[in-house]
Amino acid sequence: MEVIRLERVHKTYSDNGVPVQALRGISLQIQQGEFVVIAGPSGSGKTTLLNIMGALDKPTKGAVFLEQEDVSQLSRDTISAIRLEKLGFVFQAYNLIPVLTAMENIEFTMMLLGIDEKSRRSRALEVMRELDIEELADKRPNEMSGGQQQRVAVARAIVNNPSIILADEPTANLDSETGGNLLDLMERMNRDHNLTFIFSSHDQKVIDRARRLIILRDGLIENDTVL
Amino acid sequence: MLFTIAWRNVWRNRRRSQIVMISIIVGVVAVMFNDGLSVGMVRQMLDNQIGSHVSHIQIHAKGFNDNRVIQNYVHKPELVERTLEGTPGVKDWSKRVITFGLLSSAMNSSGGLIVGVDERREPEVTSIKASLTKGSYLSGKPHEVVIGQRLANRLKVGIGDKVVGMASALNGDVGSDLFRVVGIFETVSSEFDKTYMFTSLASAQNMLELEGNVVEYAIVIDDIAQVEAVTAELRRKLGADYEVLSYIDLLPLLVAQVEMYGEMMYIIYMIIGLAMVFGIINTMLMSVFERIQEFGVLMAIGMKNSYVFRMVMLEALVLALLGTGIGLAMGSVLLLILNAVGINLSMFTEGLTSFGVGAIIYPRLTIDSVMSVVIIIPATALLGSIYPALKATRLQPVSAIRYV
Ligand SMILES: Nc1ncnc2c1ncn2[C@@H]1O[C@H](COP(=O)(O)OP(=O)(O)OP(=O)(O)O)[C@@H](O)[C@H]1O
Ligand SMILES: [Mg+2]
Repeated sequence: MEVIRLERVHKTYSDNGVPVQALRGISLQIQQGEFVVIAGPSGSGKTTLLNIMGALDKPTKGAVFLEQEDVSQLSRDTISAIRLEKLGFVFQAYNLIPVLTAMENIEFTMMLLGIDEKSRRSRALEVMRELDIEELADKRPNEMSGGQQQRVAVARAIVNNPSIILADEPTANLDSETGGNLLDLMERMNRDHNLTFIFSSHDQKVIDRARRLIILRDGLIENDTVL
Repeated sequence: MLFTIAWRNVWRNRRRSQIVMISIIVGVVAVMFNDGLSVGMVRQMLDNQIGSHVSHIQIHAKGFNDNRVIQNYVHKPELVERTLEGTPGVKDWSKRVITFGLLSSAMNSSGGLIVGVDERREPEVTSIKASLTKGSYLSGKPHEVVIGQRLANRLKVGIGDKVVGMASALNGDVGSDLFRVVGIFETVSSEFDKTYMFTSLASAQNMLELEGNVVEYAIVIDDIAQVEAVTAELRRKLGADYEVLSYIDLLPLLVAQVEMYGEMMYIIYMIIGLAMVFGIINTMLMSVFERIQEFGVLMAIGMKNSYVFRMVMLEALVLALLGTGIGLAMGSVLLLILNAVGINLSMFTEGLTSFGVGAIIYPRLTIDSVMSVVIIIPATALLGSIYPALKATRLQPVSAIRYV
């Protein structure tokens, strides 16, 4: 099943009036359950592409379909709802609400969906158990290491049973062992729940674990291989 | 959960929140103090007027209040007295004769109001007997007079001295009589103390050839809040030949002043509120700008704009409610203490007694001012957080996350 389709997507930023072409005609399809790494040199457009796939940003030209739906036709609130229900995000850093504990951070997205407190609690516990981060439940982000924070961010991203997880350089701030653990975790989620993972990285260790590798260069797909 | 977030965010930047809260607290206490002082002052003015002479309700023959001459005496005193005895809510009443006149001593003379009072009933209605500083009250013997200290000074008389009273009698001739000063009183109103002189009802009736007729009934009721109802009841029972006036009718200026103070307070609320609005705008804007990335992430994971808006508003509300709560508690304690102790303004006594306030002001804590504070301050805080909250909703998740 197709979860994301991009058709000739262009993105042009204006850098103090000078147009910067971040994406120059990207077309691709991603199926449910894929484990995709987007690689490429700095400035090649990885973040821009992920943001557009996650409906965080609008293409200048071209179309984006999330589960067959044309994103450009949707209101801001509908897009919010889609992000809440269908997508999970893991950013490079600052993922969590600083004043909430790990548990509460994970519960937060469920609260936005209007799930009652009891169900939230048990679901959050379930996910934390699965990711083996139960001991972090009552810790606030500033009491956790970077790797721990990223794990909690993954827990939050998957807790609403989304179909796609988008992660922009999730391991960039982690040492290689912690980064490797995070990848193990994501692989396991992908295998056990058929969750689609799309993440960007320029770390060779990460790239090695991709099952589909999309290499960007100057806003174009240079190579797209299923491994 | 939104409340938890708001609550914790308030404590995240402790110092900033404390500054805002202190400014709210100071504002609340200032408003309450000012309010309490003004209300206390005008209420005292009103109470003094009511207590020294006006009483709660007065009854005269129709037209007396517009044309205050003794020819307008009450024609059927038995009817009035029977009505007063039969009306619930009436506590005590006294009867009076009242006229403009002249009082002279060997040294000087002074115009004023000569009031003949039922010396047994009057002390139940007004506080003159209790305000005596020298001598004693009217005993019922003829030719006694009680005057204010100011008048005594002007006439240069003391206890036991003789004075001559003079006024136009019922038939239009000049009536006069010789009196002896038996008591000197001092109220908080210097104006009152130089204008009023009291003698027994019989002596006044005698001098004015009123032959047992009464000009005025002064009534106190059980519950001042019921004054309108009791007045209406008496009016209905007595009919068109009598005028029944409450202190509200008798002291229109003072009553208007009480109301005006209430309205003036709103202006002061507005000014303090306005200052607060800017404080809140500033604080909340800083708080939003500090957390641009956080808001970006929240929006990215699917938080709707309306939710972002509520989150910021709630945070301001928590701040305001905390500040208001503490301010209210501190203001109440302050006012309760001051109400018990009083603020001694004897430095300014001279100025204030001419307004009839008294040297010591007892500020009052009123439900009205508490309610105003409770409603206005948080509302103001919400008002001030609208702009920062809107600002937060305008953030674009992508650029917010990228923002460093
Ligand atoms: N908001 C923006 N305004 C202007 N130019 C931008 C903006 N965002 C990105 N760009 C430009 O677009 C191009 C692609 O940027 P993007 O962040 O997508 O690259 P990237 O592959 O994620 O790079 P990196 O590996 O450094 O994260 C770059 O040239 C960048 O300078
Ligand atoms: Mg990037």
